[in-house]
Amino acid sequence: MTFQTMITQLGQGFGTTLSIFFLTLLGSLPLGLLVTFGRRSKFAPLRGFIKFYISIMRGTPLMLQLIVVFYGPNLIFGLSVPSNWRFIAAIVAFVINYAAYFAEIYRGGIESIPVGQYEAAEVLGYSKSQTFLKIILPQMVKRVLPSVTNEVITLVKDTSLVYVIGVVEMFTRAKQIAVAPDSPGIVTLFVAGVFYYVFNFIVAWVMERIEKRLNYYQ
Amino acid sequence: MKVLEIKNIKKSFNDQTLHVLKDISLSVDEGEVVAIIGPSGSGKSTLLRCATLLTEMDSGDLIYAGNYAAKNDENGQSVYAGKEELKKIRSLFGLVFQNFNLFPHYSVMKNLTDAQICVLGRSKEEAESRARSLLEKMGLADKGSAYPCELSGGQQQRVAIARALAMDPQILFFDEPTSALDPELTGEILKVIRQLADENMTMVIVTHEMAFARDVADRVIFMDGGVIVEQGDPKEVISNPKEERTRQFLARFAAK
Amino acid sequence: MKKMKKFLSLALALVMMVSLLAACGSKDSGKQKLIVGFDAEFPPYGFLAADGSYDGFDLAMAEEVCKRLDWEFEAVAIDWNSKDTELKSGNINCIWNGFTYNGRENDYTWSDPYVDNSIVIVVKADSGIKTLADLAGKTVMAQAASSAVDAINGNEAFKATLKEVVELPDYNNGFMELKQGTVDAVAADIGVAAYQMANNSGDYVMLDEAISSEQYAVGFLLGNTELRDAVNGELKKMAADGTMMKIAENYVDAGLVLDNLCMCN
Repeated sequence: MTFQTMITQLGQGFGTTLSIFFLTLLGSLPLGLLVTFGRRSKFAPLRGFIKFYISIMRGTPLMLQLIVVFYGPNLIFGLSVPSNWRFIAAIVAFVINYAAYFAEIYRGGIESIPVGQYEAAEVLGYSKSQTFLKIILPQMVKRVLPSVTNEVITLVKDTSLVYVIGVVEMFTRAKQIAVAPDSPGIVTLFVAGVFYYVFNFIVAWVMERIEKRLNYYQ
Repeated sequence: MKVLEIKNIKKSFNDQTLHVLKDISLSVDEGEVVAIIGPSGSGKSTLLRCATLLTEMDSGDLIYAGNYAAKNDENGQSVYAGKEELKKIRSLFGLVFQNFNLFPHYSVMKNLTDAQICVLGRSKEEAESRARSLLEKMGLADKGSAYPCELSGGQQQRVAIARALAMDPQILFFDEPTSALDPELTGEILKVIRQLADENMTMVIVTHEMAFARDVADRVIFMDGGVIVEQGDPKEVISNPKEERTRQFLARFAAK
Repeated sequence: MKKMKKFLSLALALVMMVSLLAACGSKDSGKQKLIVGFDAEFPPYGFLAADGSYDGFDLAMAEEVCKRLDWEFEAVAIDWNSKDTELKSGNINCIWNGFTYNGRENDYTWSDPYVDNSIVIVVKADSGIKTLADLAGKTVMAQAASSAVDAINGNEAFKATLKEVVELPDYNNGFMELKQGTVDAVAADIGVAAYQMANNSGDYVMLDEAISSEQYAVGFLLGNTELRDAVNGELKKMAADGTMMKIAENYVDAGLVLDNLCMCN
């Protein structure tokens, strides 16, 4: 196997890594907001349920959650699952896990906004949803951005956990390449590391740009 | 005509153990400037919060220009009007906070125009022209594109006053508008309020500035322990109080 | 308000997309399907080929069986630790990957054995270790949940002499550790050992004594005799008509030892 082939194959695995990464963000960033609403709901049973959900998501390993989501429907409920359930289960597990973390970050951001902002909006006649979307949400985004960046970078590295349910992403692919006949061997793992590093470098750069753009006020 | 009528407001906190407002009644005529003074904990801020619907009172009537925001039921408990009615009533008054509470992510211009557009339904052009004339009046004509964090405290408070005025309220409340400011900046705010008084703006001002209250207000109310102890002509109340508690308070104040 | 709507429709679209993905996955060609679970880090039986596809002696045989029966063939690279759950949940319907039959007789429904395999010990050529007894006080690596672990556990007396058995996810890690000296020996299937020694000529030697002798077979879900009989029948025919040997010859370079093909003898 030539170096060229190795890069091509790692690239394919990286495609899966990127799919997991972007689909997880696409799902968990908005879902986290809904979870925050539930966590802050006046309806106690919903609030309790969400609290329980968050504690499970944060209190158990993501690897275990992947296994439960993937095998659970069949082994626990006897449902038949579609043949591409493997990948979907990975996305579902990542989305509900990261949504819980994002929800707690959002909640911290929302609760750090002075009550005077709500009162000013209320006196001016803003409705509840206008107050949230126009006044609270934009300020919350700025406050939570550094913590969100941390989670996003952790996500890039967490994607490798999907090997446990047989989804082949870049790191699993690298391990396969490393033992394939005539492979470049252990070098493959270092090259995979370079892929991760470069990608995270780009992620950090993008997040920094966004932070700078939001720095127009203190 | 009475812009605001408050009848027999009662409010307590901590499960009815802490009585902050004990049966307060008050009405404000059109064009009248009322100053409320009193020691901290006297209930004057709570009265203002009840009047501006930020705090729900336990009992009493609240009426703006003849419209009931809250009315006592047969058990003597306040029942608030519906959502739509309250929205209409909110458009009748404005409130200037001690801490300004400007929206930090909006420019000065957007602070002034956003509520006009999305609450009153004004066009962007109309809202901006209203905002520009108010900024000019506040001496901030060149600050439209600035953000609140770039302004001094006095400038921020003037923007907050302009934001409230942009909604064309019939009555404007001030909650200790100079308390968060350095002493040398209070003058510019008091000047603006004085100017509004000259234009016959109806105002209720909670303040610690005794000289200002005496000069600008048509009526001064002294509150202590959740009741109105004394009210009347500012010169009478401040220079020649009838009640012992008022005298003590003013003496303490003068000593500071 | 507009933004709220936008946000809700985005969330809705996402839910629909996921359910659509789920729906289009469930289409059925009507053909019977053999879904083989294997470990892609286990040459010569299953590994990644240069063109990015999965290759290996076992996969090639499985594909041939499907061709003969006009079945659909699918190979799924699973995490070896999860093989039982994969099988029970129906995500795969057989385990075919240098899968040791001895010691697991009652856990699966088995085909006939087709490869003789022994669990052997590989050490560094310059280590001075010559016999199993020399391993006293040493650290031995074996793949987690593999038959090598079972073989060590099955030999209590031998295990008691060892300092530690290190279980790692795959043999590549094991041989890296052997090279850097963090383990003293690797216990592996003879095919795997031969492959690693061929790729690192002269660095390693295999001990003459094996820990255990065993055989590979195809494992099906316990009770699934119908599928087993169909596959087993074709396997026997392939052994008889020389196809199995012909396929095996393609994997000699990858470490397959032709003498071990017991079904052909």
